[in-house]
Amino acid sequence: MENYDAIIVGTGAAGGIVACVLAEAGKQILLLERGAALSFDDVGRDQLRNQRLSVYGHNAGPELVGNPRVFVDPNGNSRTVKPHEPDYHNNAACLGGGTRVYGAQAWRFSPDDFRMATKYGIPEGSSLADWPFPYETLEPFYERAEWELGVAGADNENSQRSPRKRDYPLPPVPPGPQTIALTDGALRLGWQTSPVPLLINTKPYQARAACIACKYCVGFACPTDAKSGSHNTVIPRALATGNCDLVTGAIAERIEVDQRGNVSGVSYFVDSPQGTNRQTARSKFVIVSAGAIESARLLLNSTSAHHPSGLGNETDQVGRNLQGHLYPRAYGISPTKVFNGVGPGVTIATTEFNHDNAGIVGGGMLADDFIKPPIDFWYDSLPPDLPRWGLANKQFMRDNYTRVLHVRGPVQDIPNPEGRVTVDPGVRDKWGIPVARLSGTTHPATVIAAEFMRARGEDWLQASGCEKVWSSQPGLVLSGKQHQAGTCRMGIDPRASVTDEWGRVHSHDNLFVVDGSLHVTNGGFNPVLTIMALAFRSAEYIARTL
Amino acid sequence: MRAVVDCLIPPDDYPGAYEAGVCDYLERLYQTDLASQLEFCAAGLDCVDTESRFRFATAFADLTPDLQSSILQAIETGNVLAPWPISPTQFFNLLVTTTAEGYYSDPQQGGNRGSISWEMTGFESRSI
Repeated sequence: MENYDAIIVGTGAAGGIVACVLAEAGKQILLLERGAALSFDDVGRDQLRNQRLSVYGHNAGPELVGNPRVFVDPNGNSRTVKPHEPDYHNNAACLGGGTRVYGAQAWRFSPDDFRMATKYGIPEGSSLADWPFPYETLEPFYERAEWELGVAGADNENSQRSPRKRDYPLPPVPPGPQTIALTDGALRLGWQTSPVPLLINTKPYQARAACIACKYCVGFACPTDAKSGSHNTVIPRALATGNCDLVTGAIAERIEVDQRGNVSGVSYFVDSPQGTNRQTARSKFVIVSAGAIESARLLLNSTSAHHPSGLGNETDQVGRNLQGHLYPRAYGISPTKVFNGVGPGVTIATTEFNHDNAGIVGGGMLADDFIKPPIDFWYDSLPPDLPRWGLANKQFMRDNYTRVLHVRGPVQDIPNPEGRVTVDPGVRDKWGIPVARLSGTTHPATVIAAEFMRARGEDWLQASGCEKVWSSQPGLVLSGKQHQAGTCRMGIDPRASVTDEWGRVHSHDNLFVVDGSLHVTNGGFNPVLTIMALAFRSAEYIARTL
Repeated sequence: MRAVVDCLIPPDDYPGAYEAGVCDYLERLYQTDLASQLEFCAAGLDCVDTESRFRFATAFADLTPDLQSSILQAIETGNVLAPWPISPTQFFNLLVTTTAEGYYSDPQQGGNRGSISWEMTGFESRSI
């Protein structure tokens, strides 16, 4: 049994950064990852089994067998779901977590995203709240994430969305024909646009190569390592210090407490060719960075005589306010080709509608999309009045795959306490650990905002010269998935939050949550850069305190 | 099965589903990931033929493409005349989806031989 300064559970966007900052500060770290360190070939190019389209499986964990969750539908019917099914709300379980296979959009939240309750009031039935600090507090850490991992982008001087003190370290991805069409449309509408910031090397950066414009960002691994995630930036830095022990294939069972109820370490299972071993490691601090669903599950599963309802759950807040993003999508047929086969494919966005929309709480960003393989296009993007088979379908694919303009974006989720993670009383995983049970939906105000954004997407395509426009509008469902957040929200009042502004669990001096679970609200943007910025901020605090 | 998949994705300037390898893809799929659906799918294919004989006293494969399409339209909407022991619409949905998966996904799956659908759509096959 080893004694560490800190044990970190999870190696995703947050866990990798915490490990790096603590290890570089000289702390002795144990970093646990339930999944494997996947090579490019391990992740592969299977278009039916990946994190973007998971028809029969996926490519970055967890394994389909032995890792169930329970999903409760809005009518109250529960069923066991496998990791590749949509209702599982999976995020990749491998070294680097979601960052191994994400699209890597690197947005800062806007200042108003930190003060949603003040700006809009609290819709009935929602748990909308302000963050415990303003944008300005996080701004230096956004900058740090952008420079230490490498973000390519360029702000629009006129939009002043999220004020910055330092430019991006890398130039934005080049425009394509879709960018030109959508720029024209936005000009006609009087909308400001900007390139989409990406954690992708548009030039060689930090000893890693530049993007070669392949078509496989989201859902897959990068062939040149130009896409920056925890696995190829902060985790190698942590390991290079000699202060960080990394164990992959290690699933945390519970956080241990001593006889007085104080957090003392983590028990976990490690699979090896010789079998499964249960181990317990001791540490001064424990940091939970397993993602919004699994972090909540681990706290709730860590019951003891002192903490019968789990750790940090004295006021029944752990696991509540699960949120992600609804994604309205709009499509239109452009008179000319808008596809040049140059990845990543996402190039232009507007943030005109993230706030200040009459009668709407919040809003969201709209952007074009990552290059969509034909099978994803067939599933996702065809007009509803097109026959699903026969010559008409085939010829639509032939004539229009390169002419369809795509616009989509994440809508700010209005949280509510009933969208939540609990642990299932009956179903266990292959190690015997009770599994996550997901229930509830987003708040109806989110659906209203999504409908508003869907209509703006159609506006943009019509103004961009599209002859035929159609769209798809999400319903009142639970959101979570890769953008899962909110289940251990930060706050000042322990009755309405799980941690303080540093991610320290209110009822424990040495237990932290650092990942998307902390997000009080999840912005109308892809959340990963905010997760990273928060991780740098919390990790610096932890390094000072330890 | 050949006749059915070629009705779903017919040959024109570009190969139809059969020539692209979709039958090979489906045979493997229904023995692996969709093994639980093998009997269901086989029963459905039998029913397509029964429906054809019921309506035209001819095997499905021997009908003209127009008549084949009219039968599939009836199955798609559930307006079948022959007795079906399984849900015709559920069967049809499964077959349409899995046929498209084979034809439009990566050539390694077996139903997009020579990246033919990628060439057709313009996605191309730059192998990086």
